[in-house]
Amino acid sequence: MAGGDGEAGYDGTNTTGFVSPAGDAIEGPIDLAAILDLRRPHRYPVRVSGDALRERGIHPGDILIADAAAAPVAGRVVIAMVFGEVLVCQIAFRRGQWWLRPAGVGRQPVPVEGEAEIWAVVAGLVRTDV
Amino acid sequence: MPATFGLIDANSFYCSCERAFDPRLRGAPVVVLSNNDGCAVARTPEAKARGIGMGEPWHLVRFRAGCADVEFLSSNYALYGDMSRRMYEVLAARVPAVEPYSIDEMFLDLDIPVPDLMAFCRRLRDAVRREAKLPTCIGIGPTKTIAKLANAVAKASPDMDGVRDLRSPEARAALYRELPVSEVWGIGARHAARLARLGVATIAEFVALDPRLARDALTATGARLRAELLGVSCLPLALAAPTRRGLAVTRCFGRLVTSWAELREAMAAHAARAGEKLRAHGLLAGAMTVFAHTHPHNGDPWHGLQHTGRIEPTSDTRALIAEAIRMLRPLWRPGFRWFKCGVMLADLVPASLQSRMLFATRDPARSARVMAALDAVNARHGRDTLRLAATGIERSWRTRHHRLSPRYTTHAGEMLVARAW
Repeated sequence: MAGGDGEAGYDGTNTTGFVSPAGDAIEGPIDLAAILDLRRPHRYPVRVSGDALRERGIHPGDILIADAAAAPVAGRVVIAMVFGEVLVCQIAFRRGQWWLRPAGVGRQPVPVEGEAEIWAVVAGLVRTDV
Repeated sequence: MPATFGLIDANSFYCSCERAFDPRLRGAPVVVLSNNDGCAVARTPEAKARGIGMGEPWHLVRFRAGCADVEFLSSNYALYGDMSRRMYEVLAARVPAVEPYSIDEMFLDLDIPVPDLMAFCRRLRDAVRREAKLPTCIGIGPTKTIAKLANAVAKASPDMDGVRDLRSPEARAALYRELPVSEVWGIGARHAARLARLGVATIAEFVALDPRLARDALTATGARLRAELLGVSCLPLALAAPTRRGLAVTRCFGRLVTSWAELREAMAAHAARAGEKLRAHGLLAGAMTVFAHTHPHNGDPWHGLQHTGRIEPTSDTRALIAEAIRMLRPLWRPGFRWFKCGVMLADLVPASLQSRMLFATRDPARSARVMAALDAVNARHGRDTLRLAATGIERSWRTRHHRLSPRYTTHAGEMLVARAW
């Protein structure tokens, strides 16, 4: 048995009267986990709080798909572990090292070293409520 | 059989899973508690340094001097299971074969045409660290037993990049003279005591033993271990878990339970979980044991009850609950405070054999359809979304997990939260 939703109801093939012409072509609903590659061991979903990155198109409540295998690239958005906090922010490469670049006002860039670590690079975004 | 084996294991696995998502725990002493928040089952080096022993009860250590800053967490098996899967997949993409030996250690086929296997293993560690977020150690050897030993040595000496290669007989000979034979995988306290009577203390003395003496002292296991330690591989990689012969669901109550209604509910819930496990493995059970007992150490009078009986082979939750309650009911005595209960299933057979049964009292096809629908709903919407009312509504007797971290990677409502900065 295939399991899933089709088990209990009608899936486009199991008609009672006329045979469904779609019988050999049923494919099921689109699988977002596959599109977002969420089954790979280095992909992690991360929920956003706060709206400092609104100009970058990242809103509170958004689900980011973080890729822990991707190499950092200047200008990309990353998930960072910084002095005991989990942040989502942009990165820059200056004077031979990576920096976390704040989007919020009144904040200073933080060099990526010691207790400031890039955890994963943001690869995708899901918004369930537009 | 591969000519070179690796054993990779995650350091303080449960604690490392917690640290992967909670940066406050990095560098801090962390202890993960067993089911029901009973005792310490995983400790970071910082927690070990504070004198917290493996298996120590939480209620004894939580207020101990010097342990005020220790972070105690309930075991979050949904998270640990998913992180174990990630570790496996990172490895499986890079070596020819991986055997998941336990939740936190995996044997590797390291027959790989690379010029520098040590460097390869260091990159493997880096990949697991970066992608599955877990710190590990790797041992390399010509047999599984040697790889396991090499892993223990790598773990004990953090300065060696977490990789230890014991492929060369010279490297092994030096170690074998130093290490006690109890360090060998498969030699427990009883074996070590028996060997001590033969004057064997170190691994070197064990491998120098006459093979017949080794066999006499430790039966066939001894002969096999001796061969493995000498570099003769006897244990191949097992790539599929062996078929289960029995299955158990047992839990301590979150609080002591006195009423029949609560005991019955808990037993029904355990029977239901056992049914899920059976169906996940495509098996039917032909025998069942139910048991319950009072607290062994709190001063209450000891009372244990147990019953074993044959049942019509099934994996149907409704039948399993009915059988469990039917067995438990006549054993019930009022006036006791119950501490633990459980269901054990035996005589497991593949579900495909069911159609051959004579005189079946249930319609197997109909039962399979109902159970498949139940499992499908629970797989999609989370465990216990749909369950039988016999397993309780309030479930106040349930196992305690007061200090549970979020199920970051398996539950949509509990994802890692990052603050936009």
